[in-house]
Amino acid sequence: MTYNFDWSVLWSGQSGLWLLQGLVTTIEISVIAWVLAVALGILSGALRTVSIAPLRWLAGFYTEFFRNVPLLVWMFFWYFAVPPLLPQFLQDWLFDHGVEFLAAVVALGVYHGARFSEVMRSGIQSIPKTQSEAAVSTGLTMAQAYRLIIIPIALRLIIPPATNESLNLIKNSSIALTIGVAELTFQTRQIETYTAKAFEALTAGTLIYLMLCLAIAVTMSQLEKRFAIPGMIAKRQTGEF
Amino acid sequence: MKPMLLLLTTLIAIAGSITVSRGETTLEKISQTGIFTIGTRTGSPPFAYVNRNNEWVGFSIDLVETSILPLISKKLNKQIKLEKKESAPNTRIPLLTSNAVDLIAETMTDTQSRREQVDFSLTFFATGAQFLVKKGTPIKGIQTIAGKRVAAQQGSTNAKIIRERVPNAKLLEFPDQPAAFQALVQGQVQAYTNDGIQLAGLKAKAPKPDDWAVVGEFFSYEPYGMAMRKNDSDFRQVVNLALMEAIESGQYFRLYDKWFGPKGEVPYPLAPDTKRFLQLQVIPK
Amino acid sequence: MDFAVITNNIGFLIFQGFFGLGNFTGGTLRLAVPAIILGFLLGVFIGIGRLARSRWIHLPATLYVEFFRGVPLVMVIFWFWFIIPVLLGKSLPEYSVALAAFIIFEAAYFGEIVRAGIQSVPRGQAEAATATGLTRAQTMRYVILPQALRNMIPSLLTQSIVLLKDTSLASIIGYVDLTKAAQIVNNREIRPFELYLFIAVIYWLCSYGMSRYARHLERRLAVNPV
Repeated sequence: MTYNFDWSVLWSGQSGLWLLQGLVTTIEISVIAWVLAVALGILSGALRTVSIAPLRWLAGFYTEFFRNVPLLVWMFFWYFAVPPLLPQFLQDWLFDHGVEFLAAVVALGVYHGARFSEVMRSGIQSIPKTQSEAAVSTGLTMAQAYRLIIIPIALRLIIPPATNESLNLIKNSSIALTIGVAELTFQTRQIETYTAKAFEALTAGTLIYLMLCLAIAVTMSQLEKRFAIPGMIAKRQTGEF
Repeated sequence: MKPMLLLLTTLIAIAGSITVSRGETTLEKISQTGIFTIGTRTGSPPFAYVNRNNEWVGFSIDLVETSILPLISKKLNKQIKLEKKESAPNTRIPLLTSNAVDLIAETMTDTQSRREQVDFSLTFFATGAQFLVKKGTPIKGIQTIAGKRVAAQQGSTNAKIIRERVPNAKLLEFPDQPAAFQALVQGQVQAYTNDGIQLAGLKAKAPKPDDWAVVGEFFSYEPYGMAMRKNDSDFRQVVNLALMEAIESGQYFRLYDKWFGPKGEVPYPLAPDTKRFLQLQVIPK
Repeated sequence: MDFAVITNNIGFLIFQGFFGLGNFTGGTLRLAVPAIILGFLLGVFIGIGRLARSRWIHLPATLYVEFFRGVPLVMVIFWFWFIIPVLLGKSLPEYSVALAAFIIFEAAYFGEIVRAGIQSVPRGQAEAATATGLTRAQTMRYVILPQALRNMIPSLLTQSIVLLKDTSLASIIGYVDLTKAAQIVNNREIRPFELYLFIAVIYWLCSYGMSRYARHLERRLAVNPV
């Protein structure tokens, strides 16, 4: 029972191409889902802080319902359970246009939207009340106050936890392999299947994820330095014991 | 960032220079641990599946339990326990080569290219590929499959053949049979290709068997073998002897009757040619 | 919609899938509970390690945390699934593989919580402890950690909830947890809506219940500031 390493499988044959396709698919899913999640997150996070109770309750329901169920279950749900409920013409269109990709994007976006919602909510709640009060006193309606003052400030405040959630989203995109989306982790399995070189394939996939996350983290920390509001973000403790 | 890159490159360099090697054979491993692990399916009735009582049963599993396991126990002079792990076309060879399982006992087709990675036992079943479709569709076989959406299991011989022979068919690969069947049920694909006997099993066990039809001539030859690690002749000898014994003593045909007989789970008469082929594999003592 | 599939299989789903009592190796709780406890213990070492003065300790600890926070859990599970049997030369039940993967992975996250908890204890405590003659190890054990633990409890509970949901990924390697049990039944009966909705509700009850409890604890702990 020997395991013979053979790193050339990564670039000979189709493996290199598969890895590249996987990476592209991972980025595609992540970006589209991210846009969806941010939109849902900002909307529901803001709604959770308004004074109109039904809106607050609705947004709260969305958040608590979706984030307390594992993403894998949502993937199965959106992919297997939802299409049969749709009208036939929609089903046909979906089946011709990559239903698994769409299901994965929706599952990922809605789930992370609920998580972004929490981040947004705590961001808004950490803004001193005086800001919204001042805004209203200058004649802005509450909706305008949110749109022009509160949300922009909150967005700048939440860059660190939002970065964390964004990285989570990219990593969670790997779960889409369970419904057949040919993203990066799926492709490492594909390479394993056809070359039986599990170690090499897994290493390649792991390195790519690490580099991807590193790139995002570095970009976001540059963004944070540029957009941070001095005096409003708590200084990070660096004291060593 | 730099220390991390350094650590990673060091790890990779180390990994690239070692060859993990164990001189141990499969029989030694089984003797040492007392456990014989097989990789088998959970959704391929009646070869290996989970039945209505949520028990893991099947023809392949029975073959192992009644023939191979007792012979291994006898050869090693100790009581060996059987453990089952789930395998699928895209995981079974890695499971074998990584020592997670000792034998793949499911519905794996013996092919020349697969023999480069694993060894096979003698053929314990023979069938061919067909299509499963909703009753009444115009698809009648491989000639009429062009341009249609077809499901196959990722890593199966059927997927490979469709890809090569009908490149303009829209092939969708799924991790295992249940996923592919669900795609067929939902209409995501118009046909599902797999070996005829498995399609018959799937149809028989489906919630509404009459909705489905197995169509087409066999468009490939699919001899089933049990796969094991390469260069392990002692173990292979035991497995083959067990299978030969089962065929010769009639145990194989009793099991066949249990699962595929007229009163079995999936009635599928054994062709006389196939029966003769099986019997001819039993070499003299 | 036909919920009979739930009632017919509820024993299998709950007893086998959730609790792990049955013929298959499985059980969401059987995986989650040890993973939380052992992951936390390992996390304590990692967390303290990150704050150590010696480079030989805090550098590997930091790399450990940064590594596991940069890769998907699915990838880590595959690593353990394929590589451990090769290294050990023998096959392992899915339970051991999944448990090992979860402990190692979640320890990175628990480690960060521990670190933040320790850092939230006012410096004065450590200084006063040293002033009374305690060694660094004793200070950590008798003064810092107890207070840090109290601060960490809400975050620890949150991470435990995350871990409980993450156990669903063990189904990918065939571990028969709640998700896999639902898949097994669905593969036979083809009733995805009822089955996946059912397990969604089960997970939701656990997760939401625990998070309400965490919030309750947070409020109670905040009443008594140090």
